Amino acid sequence: MANLNGRSRQENTYDAIVVGSGISGGWAAKELTEKGLKTLVLERGPMVRHLEDYPTAMTDPWDTKYPQGKLPAEQLKAQYPVQSRTGYTVNEYTKHFFVRDDENPYTEEERFDWIRSYQVGGRSLTWGRQTYRHSPMDFEANAREGVAIDWPIRYADLAPWYDYVERFIGVSGQNEGLPHLPDGQFQPPMEMNCVERAFKQRVEGRFGERRITMGRCAHLTEPTEEQLSLGRSKCQYRNMCMRGCPFGGYFSSNSATLVAAERTGNLRMRPDSIVTSLIYDAKAGKATGVRILDAQTLKEEEFYAEVIFLCASALNSTWIMLNSTSSRFENGFGNGSDQLGRNVMDHHFRVGAKADVEEFGDKYYSGRRPNGIYIPRFRNLGDAATKKDFLRGYGYQGGASRPGWDRDLAGEGFGADRKAAMSQPGPWTMQLGAFGEILPYEDNRVTLNHAAKDKYGLPTLSAKVTIRENEKAMRKDMQAAAVEMLEAAGFKNVMAADMGYAPGLGIHEMGTARMGRDPKTSVLNAHNQVHECTNVYVTDGAAMTSASCVNPSLTYMALTARAVDHAVQAKRKGDL
Amino acid sequence: MLNRRDAFRGLALTMGMVSVGFAGPVAAALPPLAWTPAALDAEQARALDAAAELIVPKTDTPGAREAKVPQFVDRAVATYLDKPQAELLKTGLSQMNADARAAHGKAFAELTGAQQTALLSRYDQEAAAARKAWKPRHFFSLLKEYVTIGYFISEPGATLALRYEPAPGEYHGCVPLAEIGRAWAL
Repeated sequence: MANLNGRSRQENTYDAIVVGSGISGGWAAKELTEKGLKTLVLERGPMVRHLEDYPTAMTDPWDTKYPQGKLPAEQLKAQYPVQSRTGYTVNEYTKHFFVRDDENPYTEEERFDWIRSYQVGGRSLTWGRQTYRHSPMDFEANAREGVAIDWPIRYADLAPWYDYVERFIGVSGQNEGLPHLPDGQFQPPMEMNCVERAFKQRVEGRFGERRITMGRCAHLTEPTEEQLSLGRSKCQYRNMCMRGCPFGGYFSSNSATLVAAERTGNLRMRPDSIVTSLIYDAKAGKATGVRILDAQTLKEEEFYAEVIFLCASALNSTWIMLNSTSSRFENGFGNGSDQLGRNVMDHHFRVGAKADVEEFGDKYYSGRRPNGIYIPRFRNLGDAATKKDFLRGYGYQGGASRPGWDRDLAGEGFGADRKAAMSQPGPWTMQLGAFGEILPYEDNRVTLNHAAKDKYGLPTLSAKVTIRENEKAMRKDMQAAAVEMLEAAGFKNVMAADMGYAPGLGIHEMGTARMGRDPKTSVLNAHNQVHECTNVYVTDGAAMTSASCVNPSLTYMALTARAVDHAVQAKRKGDL
Repeated sequence: MLNRRDAFRGLALTMGMVSVGFAGPVAAALPPLAWTPAALDAEQARALDAAAELIVPKTDTPGAREAKVPQFVDRAVATYLDKPQAELLKTGLSQMNADARAAHGKAFAELTGAQQTALLSRYDQEAAAARKAWKPRHFFSLLKEYVTIGYFISEPGATLALRYEPAPGEYHGCVPLAEIGRAWAL
């Protein structure tokens, strides 16, 4: 399509364009609009309005179409064969927040579980909400160990932005004073239950280097004026978060950043807008805008801006860049390093242990806490005592609970006695599941597949990602240390489990346009600008140079806020 | 949405049910089914209706009939279960009627409560034996599973047999069980 001229070009011109409206795009939108830039947010999926578009948020268990809101096996197989691999993402309550795999193809050269949400708010509506800072050690590890390349920033560069983001989104948690899990700006932590308290006391007494803390999560326990002014309120302990929260109890783009952006008057949200490529002006050496395909009308259109933020999620931002070829960028936008699409990382998990707890039978809990306990990394902390035969480390998420009526549906008996027994909680169980760091490997990559087109005729991604010896060695330790702690706590029938992990299943895709100092070995610089085209910023998971073992969303948000600050200053100085 | 008033109206329709231990002929006294099956034939539906109430009977809280569990199971057969499961349940319900006729000359729903219970006990033992021996699933195990699910996710089951709190507002991690009294529905 030809460039627009005159008036229509002017109508399609903004100060800034943000591609994607998930956890990173929402932050870019908020920061850009609050700093006075007329900002267009392009979202490939449909509109999701806070409150109005959470159709299942208040659905009671007796009002579901299917038993327990589970979808029929045939429907899962036909429509959600990948999205359902997690076992928890796609059901009657949530399916409208996940893509249909039959309509969004990609190629798995090795099994790769790409879990996607195409809508305004993206996966910020359905994320796990665990919120941790990367530590100084995380930013230094690559350089110290000679792995991949060094991060171009250090913890100190990001610390004030972590503060800033945490204050806005609201994070409940406990400061612990650990160098490898930095403290933050926290609202009061949620409460541990009786078994978790006992576990903490016993394990910390036995292992000096291990700390049991309450999970740090993006839920409001003591909302600030700012959060209340956005219409958010305290977490109601419903634990139905993935349906969208009508209380704004957890952070999402829809409940917070997009609301803040909207009220500046500087936001234009355009859903159903699939960005297909960046428009590059070779003479100026700049990107001038983006091309979109309207998902409803199937019409192509162009939008223009001085600065562009790619926040489409790691693999989709990468897809846009790979698909943005020109005589200047034959192998993809800003891909002089050939690193675009490489170094795919995630967190590996589904390994740990569980145990029966024969104590506290007369104790129970009230409320559905959308959170658990957290055991920060305790391996390879730089001293001899914590050194293991693998690099990096892992943390545990876990918790104790009492199973309910569905604990033994196929068990013997029927009638009044069985009914009475099922109306009481079962005995306590406690489980620990580890989340481990995956190293960046150059040949873990996604590539553009022109042979397989989607329904719009656009090329698709092909993924080839595997875990290696370091992760496999770590998994053994992840399992053994969980068993060791549950036994040390005196719990019974400790059962170890490795339920297997496939890349992508952590839903923490990262690394495909990594930050670095050298344009020869990285795609982005220290401010998330594309080295080879500095008015394009990439601030989602694609930017990550290493993965740490903690949940990554907070870092994407902090990087985004920091990058917008840089962009606005550079724009003022005429540097873009 | 099923509200509590509807649930009690459902109860009124089932007040004429057979009392356990009464051995006389009851076929003529059976009230018509309070619901129209979507997937089951009339006789299967009657067997389900009777069996569900025996699996989750009315005690100090409502039973399966009042919670409209038979309707739930029928709907699951119609819209949710895969074909082999749906077949297993349907043939199982027909088997109940065939076994009842062979032993007592009447369909399952027309037996006395004691006769019905005896037959279900036999199925329950067969189901346990099959499970232990890793044999294919017995229909009664599947029937029991869906009756149980249907009951505890129903409004009477979730709110009366269990404790249900749509928006708890707070979390307390260590409360005497006696204060809560029952398992949480969710």
